[in-house]
Amino acid sequence: MEDLIPYLKKEIIEVLNLNDITPDDIDEDASLFNEGLGLDSIDALELIVFMEKNYGIKLSNPNEGKEIFKSIRVMAEYIQTHRTK
Amino acid sequence: MASQIWITGYGIVSAIGVGKDAVLRSLLSSSTGISSLRYLNTSHHEFPVGEVKMDNGEMASCLGIGKTEPMNRTALMGMLALQEALQEAGLSADGIGLISGTTVGGMDKSEQYYLDYLQNDSRNDYIKIHDCGATTELMADCLGRFAFMTTISTACSSAANAILLGANMLRSGELPCVVVGGSECLTKFHLNGFNSLMILDKDLCRPFDRSRAGLNLGEGAAYLVLENAEHAVARGVKPLAVLSGYGNACDAYHQTASSPDGDGAYRAMSAALRMAGMDASQVDYVNAHGTGTPNNDSSESAAMRRVWPGNMPPVSSTKSFTGHTTSASGAIEAAICLLAMQHRFLPPNLHFADADPDCVIPVSQLRTGVELRHVLCNSFGFGGNDTSFLLSKPEAGSKLAFLAKEGEVKVYAAKCIAAQNSLAPLCQFPSESLETPFQRAADPDFKGYMPPLEARRLGRLMKRAVVTSKEALSEAGLEMPEAILTGTGLGCIETTEFFLDSLCKEGEQLLKPTCFMQSTHNTIGSAVATQIGCHGYNVTYAHKEMSFDSALYDGVLQLRLGDIRTVLVGGHDELTLSYYKLLEKTGFLGLEGESACEASTSFVLAADGCLDARPLCVVKGIRLLYCPEERALRQAIGCLLADAGMTMSDLSGVVLSVNGNADHDAPALALCRALFADVPLLHYKHLFGESYAASGLGFYVSVACLATAKIPDALYLDPARRSHVAPKALMLFNTTDNKCCSLTLLSQVKTE
Repeated sequence: MEDLIPYLKKEIIEVLNLNDITPDDIDEDASLFNEGLGLDSIDALELIVFMEKNYGIKLSNPNEGKEIFKSIRVMAEYIQTHRTK
Repeated sequence: MASQIWITGYGIVSAIGVGKDAVLRSLLSSSTGISSLRYLNTSHHEFPVGEVKMDNGEMASCLGIGKTEPMNRTALMGMLALQEALQEAGLSADGIGLISGTTVGGMDKSEQYYLDYLQNDSRNDYIKIHDCGATTELMADCLGRFAFMTTISTACSSAANAILLGANMLRSGELPCVVVGGSECLTKFHLNGFNSLMILDKDLCRPFDRSRAGLNLGEGAAYLVLENAEHAVARGVKPLAVLSGYGNACDAYHQTASSPDGDGAYRAMSAALRMAGMDASQVDYVNAHGTGTPNNDSSESAAMRRVWPGNMPPVSSTKSFTGHTTSASGAIEAAICLLAMQHRFLPPNLHFADADPDCVIPVSQLRTGVELRHVLCNSFGFGGNDTSFLLSKPEAGSKLAFLAKEGEVKVYAAKCIAAQNSLAPLCQFPSESLETPFQRAADPDFKGYMPPLEARRLGRLMKRAVVTSKEALSEAGLEMPEAILTGTGLGCIETTEFFLDSLCKEGEQLLKPTCFMQSTHNTIGSAVATQIGCHGYNVTYAHKEMSFDSALYDGVLQLRLGDIRTVLVGGHDELTLSYYKLLEKTGFLGLEGESACEASTSFVLAADGCLDARPLCVVKGIRLLYCPEERALRQAIGCLLADAGMTMSDLSGVVLSVNGNADHDAPALALCRALFADVPLLHYKHLFGESYAASGLGFYVSVACLATAKIPDALYLDPARRSHVAPKALMLFNTTDNKCCSLTLLSQVKTE
């Protein structure tokens, strides 16, 4: 779990083209959307593709993402429990 | 002068029928055309779709087209609808205009043969009919000789915007009659694209219903014949309906999502009513955009509640019959509205059961015997390209202003990013010819032009467009243009190609939504609008090497009509090495002697006296012609010069679209020598390269010559003709593919 958090930070920067941000800039407990990192609905869709590709997690409703992408920590916990690969 | 725009014929091809009679029967029996997949070759059988119930072979045989001819489904459906429209109007294609909307174009064949293009080269003929403009030409050429042609690509509002340009052309007297509409076939490409955005419903779509979960894609084509009343009367033809008003606005909110309060939609509907001089309460029915996505329907409802704070007229979304026919939807729904007006019924919003407090309550059952005097039709696209138009019964229709305003159109700023020019001042010209066959543009530092969080997602071409636009606006001292018009032959090729490549090589899963969003041509113009917060008129043209010319034409038209006072016009195309290799196979790029390039150009144009900045030159006139004979060209040149009070001897040069390839250039040069006698011939593509957006560079070069009062030596085709006398006027002649061509007359600004 603690390994997954820094890995996710690195991957998210890569997947979402967050060029000017370093993993250290991301607070694992801060919101990914709105006031936190400022991501939006399209980023959520990219993260859904990312989870399916890397962890075999399939979401069918984009609204499920809202809960899962609350913060890096919540996302890591979700992946830990639901991963199929 | 005020007059009416009449609709004198229309044709429709859709999931609920091919032809008006079949469509009417389905509407009156409340039978949806949405069903399980039958014709499209995809693995996504979980999604219901609104397919036209004919395969390509059946359509081709109906049209008498041979099986071996390279065709795409968009063109085939388009021809069937065009034929029906012209037939009802009692017209042939000869001498009239065609404005068609499409985004998909020939993508159905590109996704089928993409791997073949890369490996076997046995299907290369289909590369030529991939893009939007080529698809329009393909359908048009089978029907006759249109005199004017262009293609609009504003995603799902494309066909609606074709109606607007057509109407503006009639109002300004450019043509007495135009056919307008759109065509779009289903493809794996956009089915997967919409799936990556997670907005497809696995059940039948339920617009405005509380349980709505997305849209069902559909396909089809529809065209309307618009004719000025005098022309129709002279032909002894009666109107089926009148186009009473229209509005186009940009939501300027997000690349795909609509704003919560439906700002763009509200502005478009209000503008349509204002133009018609009507009160909202006069509207008897609204054919909503109503896609069935949670976002669209609540946003559109919010906008409708702003237009009708009190009594809402009956509303329905007929996408519950046809599916969302994307680029064709504006015309398909216009045709449905016309049927409803003529046959006195209200088409129901099928499958509506449960009201949503965030949405209007649509008409869910067929109502017959209803008098519909005025019908408002909404059509919205990605990027917030929102359009609304008002159709009226012949006796109830509004008259519109048919008048060109006095006064000149001037250019106030010109900015360019190309191979040897990255935002250089106008006086700085490249002096060396390009040597490489493929030349990337030199990017400036994008930082500082847009917030990093937004820039990270924009494709390279979108960033270039934002930068040249912002630079041009700043040079013109203009904070907010009243319209943004964009031309792009192929749009963001880098991301489109990435999506297509993944689709064809890795299959129909795990595709990136960002790449799909950026495959629509209007993503460029709407990114510019979003970055500067511009809610004004926003349209994108995608007609090969006439894309920029079409945008410029529309801008000049609207300035002359007095509909707008300022406009930002841009031409943008990029190139990847792999796409260059594909275009090489078609002979458009990679010819001996020419260089392929990328180009982004942005210009600010305004009506005289609207801006304080020093004007760079005057746009005296612009003409777009399709396959003109020499006689027609001679006549157009004569008219342009006469309207400007000039003669051939006032021209200091003719700026040509020759690109350095001897075979390509020979006919164009011969034609120019015949048309322009001994006016010096100028060229620019040897310095900047060849691209679909190259004519924007030609315009840039001409503006620069007139603004700096000097024609650089490097531009003269014949060194013996070099002159250092300040140029008075230049004619741009773009005839790259020997089909579409444009003539633009520019002159120096007269000093007092």
